[in-house]
Amino acid sequence: MHPLERLVNLVALLLESTRPLTFDQIREAMPEAYAQQEVASAKRMFERDKDILRDVGVPVEVAATDAWDVEQGYTISKERYYLPEIDLTPEEISALFVAAHAGGEDATAEQGVRKLLYGADGAFLARTSPPPVASESRGLDARLLAAAEAIGDRAGVRFTYRTSRGARSERLVDAYGLVVRGGQWYLVGLDRERGEIRSFRFSRMVGELERADAATPPPDGFRAADHVVAAPWGPGDAREHAVVAFSPDVAWWATSGLDGVEALGTREDGWHVMRLPTAPGDGIVSWVLSFGPDAELLEPDTLRADIVRRLEAVLA
Amino acid sequence: LPEPRPGGTKASERLRRLLVIVPYLVRHPGTELDELCRLFGVDEAELLDDLGRLFLSGLPPYGPGDLIGVDIEDGRVWIDMADYFSRPLRITRPEALALYLRGTALADTPGVAGSSALATAARKLGDALGRETLGELAGHVETAGGGRPAGSLDVIRHAVERHERLRIAYYAQSSAETTERDIDPEEVFLAVGRWYVVAWDHRSDEERLFRADRIRSAVATGERFEPRGLRGAGRPLYTPSERDVDVRLRLGPDARWVAEYYAVDETRELDDGRLEVRLPAARLEWVARVLLRLGKEVEVVEPESLTDRLVDVANRTRRRYVDSSPDILSVG
Repeated sequence: MHPLERLVNLVALLLESTRPLTFDQIREAMPEAYAQQEVASAKRMFERDKDILRDVGVPVEVAATDAWDVEQGYTISKERYYLPEIDLTPEEISALFVAAHAGGEDATAEQGVRKLLYGADGAFLARTSPPPVASESRGLDARLLAAAEAIGDRAGVRFTYRTSRGARSERLVDAYGLVVRGGQWYLVGLDRERGEIRSFRFSRMVGELERADAATPPPDGFRAADHVVAAPWGPGDAREHAVVAFSPDVAWWATSGLDGVEALGTREDGWHVMRLPTAPGDGIVSWVLSFGPDAELLEPDTLRADIVRRLEAVLA
Repeated sequence: LPEPRPGGTKASERLRRLLVIVPYLVRHPGTELDELCRLFGVDEAELLDDLGRLFLSGLPPYGPGDLIGVDIEDGRVWIDMADYFSRPLRITRPEALALYLRGTALADTPGVAGSSALATAARKLGDALGRETLGELAGHVETAGGGRPAGSLDVIRHAVERHERLRIAYYAQSSAETTERDIDPEEVFLAVGRWYVVAWDHRSDEERLFRADRIRSAVATGERFEPRGLRGAGRPLYTPSERDVDVRLRLGPDARWVAEYYAVDETRELDDGRLEVRLPAARLEWVARVLLRLGKEVEVVEPESLTDRLVDVANRTRRRYVDSSPDILSVG
């Protein structure tokens, strides 16, 4: 008998049975599967089958078969097996179908959405096709899923983090929320050592993200997105400002997608002058330098002097 | 029904698949095989094989009426006697998390059709699956906007559908220049939160990829083109070319991100803790600008012309600071 037939039959048997079944009763009910060999090896095969069912997500439970707790039997609770009714519109199911297939080789989301399809309008689905996505689109980061689970369980997480300036350190964070911004995922939480709520870009985590002990709950009215400021060099709370002029070639896109940018006007030479929030550190200096001769930092003087110094070091 | 064949996909994968396909067929009798393959990501031979196995399965002790009925006619499938499989298996925690996160991420990508349906779907999933599956996560995943909107996306999509040639003004990061060119756009696709266009570029007479958010303007020329079958989805974003020069750099700790951010084809850890990388580049201007921002954190191994280019970029940049006084009061 083919394993697939055996597994389907086993699910049907345990799902339809009104009481827990012992291995002997299962063997008796499915002789072609578990009675073709001696008990010990049949039992091993059954154990493997049970593991496969649990692996697939079938909730096989162990329960006493009688009030005296003499024998243990196996059962699948209908309530725990079946997907609850989710009142999704055809548009919503289609949108989820598209999203699940949008990128990455990781098939977990696709498996998930297939379970929702049964409630969809077939004709509507037929018109849905996933958006084309390039092969380099990364699948969901395993660390992102681990962080999502930690937030779900209100647990802390531990990871190695590399800041935008390259410094590495170990972080222990009470995970409060996830934010997606411009295709990048961020974790927001309380950095226990620093005693502050910080944001961390997943792509800057080094190695794995591990679960730590229980976390404190987020403060009242907490909004994770408030802690992810899209400064040019990544997240960071804006405490200062810089004024930068951009050539017409780059001015139209240089600051798109950044928060808190104020256009101050156009210079006589056609360059656009903008005021940008900046975080402490020299992130803004290297960001402005990445535009080469297409950007000029005007204020503050200290950062302007830093840029000139950096340029002279290259030319020395 | 065809004879089941041995081997192939693992039994656990096949079971996982059947436990969702069967409820779909119970709810949607007579669904076409093609459609099933598309929706459930399975090839037809494997699907037929699975259905063949299903036909031999059922509820023990397999009395009359206990075996699952499978009927395939004119490429359509019917199933009966499988009431216990009329609803799918509950969504697992990792599946729900992955779907919820992907849905939220895509809802945040500008230019995605149906992003409002996606947002409400993610919310309903959060409500229905509740604490048991998502725990405290629902309500703690947010989108911050900030995706770069590409103003020309609608014009480009329209041109793709109608095979219309476009005249675009394009800022190329590689050369740091804006140029006008005619392109025949064939597909718009998404990669890491950004939209790209694959097109035939009449300026270089080559197939090229364009970042939609770097297309400053796009106007239909009124001419039509014959599609060449250029594909965007599924291709790498960097296409090697014969004009590529091998650039070899040694990256200090603060510059190691370069190895993750750009298409590097060789990396080597050095004894002094630095990372040596090789990256192919058809143009040196963008590499020189990256070097400028990295300063002392990077050393150029080859080519020598890159060092010359870096000095040139640094000179051109410094001129901005020497020639103009930072007088923002002259702003008009």
